[in-house]
Order: sequence, then structure tokens, then C-alpha cells
Amino acid sequence: MNPRASIWLKTVYARTWVRTKSIYGEPLWVAVNVGFPFFTSLALSLLYSSAGLKSGIGFAFLGGVMVSFWGNVLWSMASQFNWDKQQGLFELYITSPAPISAILIGMSLGGILGTAPSAITLAIVGWILFAPPANPLWPLVAVTFGLTLASLYAMGMALSSLYLVYGREADSVNEALHEPVSFLSGVYFPASLAFPAVLQAIALVIPLAVGMDALQRTLFSLNSTGVADLTLVYRDILLLAIMGITLLFAASKALKILEEKGRRAGTIAVRLR
Amino acid sequence: MSFRDAKPTVEVEDLHREFKGKEGTVLALDGVDLKVREGEVFGVLGPNGAGKTTMIRILSTLLLPSSGSARVMGWDVAKRPEKVRPLISTASGAERAGYDYITARGNLWFFSQLYGLSSKLAHERINEFSEMLGLTDYLDRKFYTLSTGYRQRVTVVRAFINDPKVVFLDEPTIGLDVMTALKIREFLLKQAKESGRTILLATHNMAEVDAICNRVGIIDKGKILACDKRSLGAPALVMEMTPPPDSASLEPLSKVDGVKGFTSSIDEERGVGRVQVVVDSDESAQGAIDFARKSGMNLISNWRQQTTLEEVFVALVGRGFREREHESPS
Repeated sequence: MNPRASIWLKTVYARTWVRTKSIYGEPLWVAVNVGFPFFTSLALSLLYSSAGLKSGIGFAFLGGVMVSFWGNVLWSMASQFNWDKQQGLFELYITSPAPISAILIGMSLGGILGTAPSAITLAIVGWILFAPPANPLWPLVAVTFGLTLASLYAMGMALSSLYLVYGREADSVNEALHEPVSFLSGVYFPASLAFPAVLQAIALVIPLAVGMDALQRTLFSLNSTGVADLTLVYRDILLLAIMGITLLFAASKALKILEEKGRRAGTIAVRLR
Repeated sequence: MSFRDAKPTVEVEDLHREFKGKEGTVLALDGVDLKVREGEVFGVLGPNGAGKTTMIRILSTLLLPSSGSARVMGWDVAKRPEKVRPLISTASGAERAGYDYITARGNLWFFSQLYGLSSKLAHERINEFSEMLGLTDYLDRKFYTLSTGYRQRVTVVRAFINDPKVVFLDEPTIGLDVMTALKIREFLLKQAKESGRTILLATHNMAEVDAICNRVGIIDKGKILACDKRSLGAPALVMEMTPPPDSASLEPLSKVDGVKGFTSSIDEERGVGRVQVVVDSDESAQGAIDFARKSGMNLISNWRQQTTLEEVFVALVGRGFREREHESPS
């Protein structure tokens, strides 16, 4: 195998292993991963249930599942990357022949593997407790789900590149993005029904919003006839595919540009003493 | 051991690096020239803030120089970092380089993968180096449970796991107990001798330089002030005069040709002033004597001696390390 490809693959695998192992190394993190989205979903499901909006329950639990992954993008990638920088690990990545993109993809895969069990638990518990009315189109659900995760983690990679130049400022950007993105994406409710067209259009630049819209349509058949509006689902899938590719390309470019900028400004390494 | 015929692995020419901040521009490196050859352990000795870490960061491709050039194994570190990175490694005494919930072995395996090593080879090297550093019994412990000394041993193993041609070490034994520091120094020496690696060691520990370096460069305020064999081979001239001269009258001595620096002291009991001058030749020593006589100083005796590293440092930098370290904000 080409040595560069071999290093790339080995780095992805090793970073995935480290991330997964670290997540499961602390039981409290696992509990928090499952717990936080579960209680939010539970509260909203009870609210929807008491208001007689049975269809809302599905949104609440789907939102919980996706929020786990979205939180992971910010916490397990960008913030983890910042932690790596503060610990001096970042310097070791840069001075090794391993591409930073491989480190980030490994972190993404590790994050997905670390979050998946909590997301699956949440979905199963929600289904058992509330049995939300659903009409899933499984192949489309799988495609949409996969593309949404790919776009989200590509976005995470692009955000992470900011740490090559910035420190706390990038961390603050991450923090600031969390709630507005969750809100605009309509994670716990159907944004296509709740938001005016302008807000919906703005939300279309966020992969989570597009993914949520498509998942809600493919899982819960949003239109009035009880049949999924496949035209809109296909639009969302196309958008997600474009976003995924664009964000991956942007992340790869940003990593190169910001690494160069970091080397010039001296911001890659943190003085530890 | 002579390294004169060995090929240069690190070449630095007129290297400058500025840092621009809110409080103005700081010149961290001010025209550094350096050549280190294959198999050498080269010490870069200097007080905090002298520019040691900046130089290592440039050489290890973390930082770009403002001007000048630096090459490792013939590759320009600024223009071709991708060629330099597979050939080098770095380790710092301050780093925590490891994931807390992963074992020491797991951490080392992880870093080996960044260089594309096969798992079999990685584990062979982990076992071999850990044995040499007395780390074997701690390999399967989680990183956060290790003491500072054992973490540092992990860092040192990590720095050699990719079989680097050039290793940059920044204060690798800082804050360690004597035994751990000795173990690490033994390991470094063995690596340089048996594997022909070049080691560039930045430190302010003179004992470390004495113990393992073939050559040393003294750096201060971004300039290499002297660069030679371990003892710096610097001949010194000691002059005694009475009455002791004041510092203002001695000041022009530093301008005499071949005088690298000097220190002065007063023997109160004898009422004699003693000036130790670091010179580069016998002619320079004679020049210093002539200066003293022409300046009207009453020279009562003079003799030559070989300086210690510390004496050279004091003469060149102006103050001793302890004094410097004490003043340093960090």
C-alpha cells in the first residue's frame, strides 16, 4: 500500500480507538451521554402527550437521538481538539507525518461509536414507553441518517480547524453555536410547520436542520395525506450530500490554510511552562 | 568521538524569529547559525526566554522563521515540512503527551500509528525501550495513574518509537528526581551512540550537558554566543590587579579583539581585583593584558586556565543561571 495511504488509515483507526476507549473509560460520561438527551426528550414527550399531540412524541425522541450526535460534534471534536492543544498533544500531531484530517476523521468515528449506544438506547426506550405513531421508510431513513452524520462531522472538522489559530475564542464560538443551532434545526419539533419560510431558509445552511427535516418526513410522514412527501426528502438528501462534500472540502482547505497561519503566528503550540 | 566528517543533519543559517504582540515586537531569535552532525548530541544551553524552545519549534516544523533558513536532513523546514516530519520527533519535559484513560502501552501504540508503524514493530519497540527505561511494569497502567517520572519515561519512549533520524528534546528531565533523570540520560546517550541519531537537546541544566552532549552552544537573547566542544574548550586569562578596578574602567575590555566576555570579582581579604577573561587565542589574551596595562591598571599577576562551562556561561551571558532562573517570571 502507498505509505501515505497507510499512515492515513492507521491514524484514522488509532484515533478512533483512542476516542472510543476514552469515552467508555469514564462511566459518568456514558451516563451523561444517555441521560441528558433522554430527560429532555422525556419531558417534551410528556408535554406533547398531555397536549394530545401524539405525533410530537416521535419528534422529541428523534431530536434526543440527533442532539446526542450534534453535541458530540461540538464536545467530542472541537472541544477535544482544544483539549489536545492545551495538553501539548497537538504539537505531536503536527510534527508527525499523519495528516490532521485523519486525526479528525478518527475523532469523528470514535465520537459516533461512542455516542451510538446512547442514541440507540434513547430510541428504543422512547419507542417502548411512548410508541409514537410512525410510518418509517427505512432505506431513506438510513440514507438520510448517514448523510446527516457525515455532514455534521464534516462541519465539526471545519470548526476544529479554528483551533490551529485560535484558542478560547474558538471554544466560545462552539459554545455560542450550540443552542441556536439546536433551535433553528427544530430538533424537538417540526421546523417546517413551526417556522416561517425565512427562518426555514436560513436553517437550510445547517446540516442538522436539513437532516432533521428529512428524518422527520421519512419517519413520521408529515404531509396531510399521511404519505411522506418524497420530493422534499429527495431535496434534503441532495442538499445533505452537497453540504457533506462542500464541508469536507472546506475543512480540508481550512486545515491546510490555518495550519500555515498557525505556524506563522506561532499559535499551534501552547507554552506549557 | 569526532563528528567532523559526519554529514550535517541540522543546518541553521541566519535564523530570525519575531513575535508580534500587543506590547510590541519580541525578537526571539536574532541571527542564529548552527550546524549539527549525524550522531551528535548537541546541547543548546541558555536561560529561560533565551530562544531555545523557539529554535526547536522552528526545526520541528511547528513554527515558521521570520527570515533565514533551517534544514533538517537537507530539507527546508519551512518549505518542505512534509519531508522533515517523518524523520524527526520531539519531546518536551513539560508535555503530558497522553490520553488519561488509555494505558501507557496504548498511548505509545497510538503515537506509533501516526508514523505508520505496524503494530508488531510498534510493540517490539515499546517493549525494548520500556525495558531500557525501567517502564515495563507500568506499561499496562492508565496514563493518569502514572507519576510525573513515569509519564516522562513514556514521553521519551514515544520520541524514539518512530526510529527518528533527528530528535529534538526540550528540557526532557525538568522537574524529575535524580534517578529518573539519570535513567533518561543513559537512554539518550545509548540512542545516540548505537543508532547514530542526532539529538538536539535544549536545556538550562549544565550537568545534563556535561553528561551527554558532544558539543554545546550557549544561547541568550536569541543569539548563539559560543558554540564548541562540551567544555567549550575556552581558554581563559585570569588577571589580578591592585587596587581592584571599577566596572566602568573594565567595560572597554569586551571590545578587545578575541575577547568573548569577562567576569570580575574582588578578593576583599587581599584587596585584589580578579578579572577572568574568556578569549579565543593566546594573542587575544595578550591583547587583554596590554589593555589592562595601557589603562593604568596595576597588574600583579596573570595566568591561563581552562574554563568550566559555567564560567564560560557567566562570562558570555553576564550572570549565572541561578540568578537568571530566580529572576525569570515563570
